[in-house]
Amino acid sequence: MKLEVVGKNILRIDALSKVTGRALYPEDFYMEGMVYGKTLRSKVPHAYIKVDTSRAEKIDGVIKIFTHKDVPNNKHGVVFKDHEVFCSEKVRRIGDPIAFVVAKDRKTCELALENILVEYEEIEGVFDPIEAMKDDAPKVHGDSNIVYHFKIRKGDVEEGFKNSHVIVENTYKTHMVDHAFLQPEAGLSFIDEEGRITVIVATQYPHYDREEIASALKIAEDKVRLINANIGGAFGGREDISLQIHLALAAHELKMPVKVVYSREESFLAHSKRHPLIMKYKTGADKDGKLLALEAEIIGDTGAYASWATNVLRKSGVHATGPYFIPNVKVDSYAVYTNNPYAGAMRGFGATQVPIAHEQQMDMLAEKLGMDPITIRLKNMFKKGSVTATGQVLTESVPLQECLERVVEKMDFPVGEKEAY
Amino acid sequence: MEAYKAKSIDEVIRLLSQFEGKGKVIAGGTDLIIDIRNKKVKPEALIDISSIDELKTIEDLGSFIRIGAAATFTDLVESSLLDENLYGLKKAAREVGSPQIRNRGTIGGNIANGSPAADSVPPLLCLDSTLILRSIKGEREISLRDYYEKGFKIGEDEIISAIQFKKPEGRQILSFAKLGLRKALAISRLSIATLLEIGGDNRIKTIRIASGSLGRHPLREYKVEEFLIGKDFNEEVINEAVLVLKEAMEERLKGRATLPYKQRAVERVFKDAIYGGLERLKVVEA
Amino acid sequence: MKKISLNVNGKDHILEVEEDMRLIDLLREKLGLTGVKEGCSEGECGACTVIMDGEVVNSCLVMAFQAEGSSILTIEGLGDEENIHPIQQAFIDVGAVQCGYCTPGMILAAKALLDKNPNPTEEEIREAISGNLCRCTGYNKIVQAIDRAKEVLR
Repeated sequence: MKLEVVGKNILRIDALSKVTGRALYPEDFYMEGMVYGKTLRSKVPHAYIKVDTSRAEKIDGVIKIFTHKDVPNNKHGVVFKDHEVFCSEKVRRIGDPIAFVVAKDRKTCELALENILVEYEEIEGVFDPIEAMKDDAPKVHGDSNIVYHFKIRKGDVEEGFKNSHVIVENTYKTHMVDHAFLQPEAGLSFIDEEGRITVIVATQYPHYDREEIASALKIAEDKVRLINANIGGAFGGREDISLQIHLALAAHELKMPVKVVYSREESFLAHSKRHPLIMKYKTGADKDGKLLALEAEIIGDTGAYASWATNVLRKSGVHATGPYFIPNVKVDSYAVYTNNPYAGAMRGFGATQVPIAHEQQMDMLAEKLGMDPITIRLKNMFKKGSVTATGQVLTESVPLQECLERVVEKMDFPVGEKEAY
Repeated sequence: MEAYKAKSIDEVIRLLSQFEGKGKVIAGGTDLIIDIRNKKVKPEALIDISSIDELKTIEDLGSFIRIGAAATFTDLVESSLLDENLYGLKKAAREVGSPQIRNRGTIGGNIANGSPAADSVPPLLCLDSTLILRSIKGEREISLRDYYEKGFKIGEDEIISAIQFKKPEGRQILSFAKLGLRKALAISRLSIATLLEIGGDNRIKTIRIASGSLGRHPLREYKVEEFLIGKDFNEEVINEAVLVLKEAMEERLKGRATLPYKQRAVERVFKDAIYGGLERLKVVEA
Repeated sequence: MKKISLNVNGKDHILEVEEDMRLIDLLREKLGLTGVKEGCSEGECGACTVIMDGEVVNSCLVMAFQAEGSSILTIEGLGDEENIHPIQQAFIDVGAVQCGYCTPGMILAAKALLDKNPNPTEEEIREAISGNLCRCTGYNKIVQAIDRAKEVLR
């Protein structure tokens, strides 16, 4: 088979437009008669709210202020419909959208935001996922904060630890991370020549966005058109709805082009984060460094909304052993609601955090055994034909050993020598 | 808000007087524009000084050097007057922000904004610099030390027109070291400047030390200076000086979450300044 | 409102600007030069970089009225499809473009460097683009592109 593209350096089709500054990102679109929109966001993490827009509505230049009352179906979300287009009764995090002002220009939008009165009746929040798992913790949604529990049970870990010569137990924590893609969210909506609600946006999922807009406005999907402009980075941070429904709603109601450009600050407030994980690990190995058992509890703080939490925490669980064969495995991973910023997709999707735990465990087992960190890995790593903790048989190429051996060679790493420990 | 692009110092001080404290001088704008947009400051007028030549010159006045307040960090980096014994000031200027920030940010702005992390200030403190202030009432001078340590104020009708200091003499060498969280665009976590001279008998003849981000404002580390002056210059003495510095920091920063971190980090930064200066001296004298 | 005159991409303009307008707003909204990107509004990211009187500046940190009398170069003035600049070509050839949002600022930072220093070392190139963030983690390719452009321009 002759490959035309794979293995070759090819020029990006969009490179020319990008190096000349001609490439258009959503904020680069301007239309005749265009007006501006801006979102009012919660200033507190957990509260019941009452919103009074009457004073702001009287400001000269304010065209309309949208709240939950204006949304036919106020629910959305990529997996669970736990987000509201605008908060109706309760805010669950700092930055939750409450209202959307449309006005003749940006300054008027800002003035209107300052004049919307929000009465916050603050309620106790929960910010630590371990606290949030307790029965008596304040509830973010419904009657439990546990969104998801993923389990792996393989062999008998008790037996594995009993037979272990060394056991290492530790708890690891990773922090929240923002994608900080360079282009803050922006968009422009209008009614096109065929009467369709059209939204120009930078998104990772135009088809999902279209579905969510149609569902929120209770209209047919073919009445909604998404135009994906150039995307100034995403890294998972553009997988959820940010301004898409607000823009579509405004264009639909007002029949005029509406533009929104988030500031960097608002961008931080608006989109998801990488899940911070708390990873409790126990790993055992025999005298020769062969892994015998692993037990892990992984708790992911998904903040106020689930977003992709189920998929992310499943992936953390699946990858909990690292690339090592272990006969006895018990993994429990959880996604938990708190009143923190919400967490969702970000590069690696839950697989990025766990190596901090499983690799440190390997180093510490090696240290206890008086073995160097390469040797212990070579003894345990996945090879073609290995079976993972979830029962997957690795039938395709698994060139991990070759990779590590090349690293050792390039580093001139003294495997087996005293200084390598 | 009104906006003026001033063409001379006289025009600036006339406008400052006219707006009675509600006018704000803008030079590089690298801090001020952010504050205005965040509504932290709400001036009635902005008076731009970024293209007034008489505020931008770096002059050799014989035994003194005078730097116009609107000289940018790039101007400092490119000035041949700041090579040799004054290299610590140039080094501080080179480590400010990024090329874009250095092209706009000014030495006067670094002082007028009063940031505890202003990179150019510790070297200027080591030089016992004087601020030259102008208003329609005339010109006056205050020492940079008094501005920080005694809280001497720049009047609302005044502008910093220049910073002036005496050139280091003999084998005195000005040095600077900083710890930032990354290479570029890092606000200093801590910085140290030193002016050091070692006599022929290997005794410390001159020592002035100033720090940034080790207090509410940049300041001179007198206790360390007192400890070092007249002592034989060797590693042991420098190690003891580090302990004196840590003690002084502890008094000022007690209860701050960053103290343990800064106490560990300060040793290396202080030694980088001292030994980096001596390395530089070798180059200067070669 | 304030009347100012300035030269942008070789063309003289006399414009009415609001006192609180920034240079980036003038370039994007008054002149339609949307190749000037806004990433952070506080001088951290460098996406809004333009060359002002020969030197790189963050156009989000310059007030429009301060630019009176100055000459500004934006990415649109550097080269276009018919007349592409060697730095732009090098970015395409080396694969130094991903999402593209940092690209105009990066290219202008490179231009300002090569104008002053036609034969920079790798360290000097990295220093020159230290005020420009790329979040797609493409720095090595960007450095390689500038290095290649330097050879072409010499």
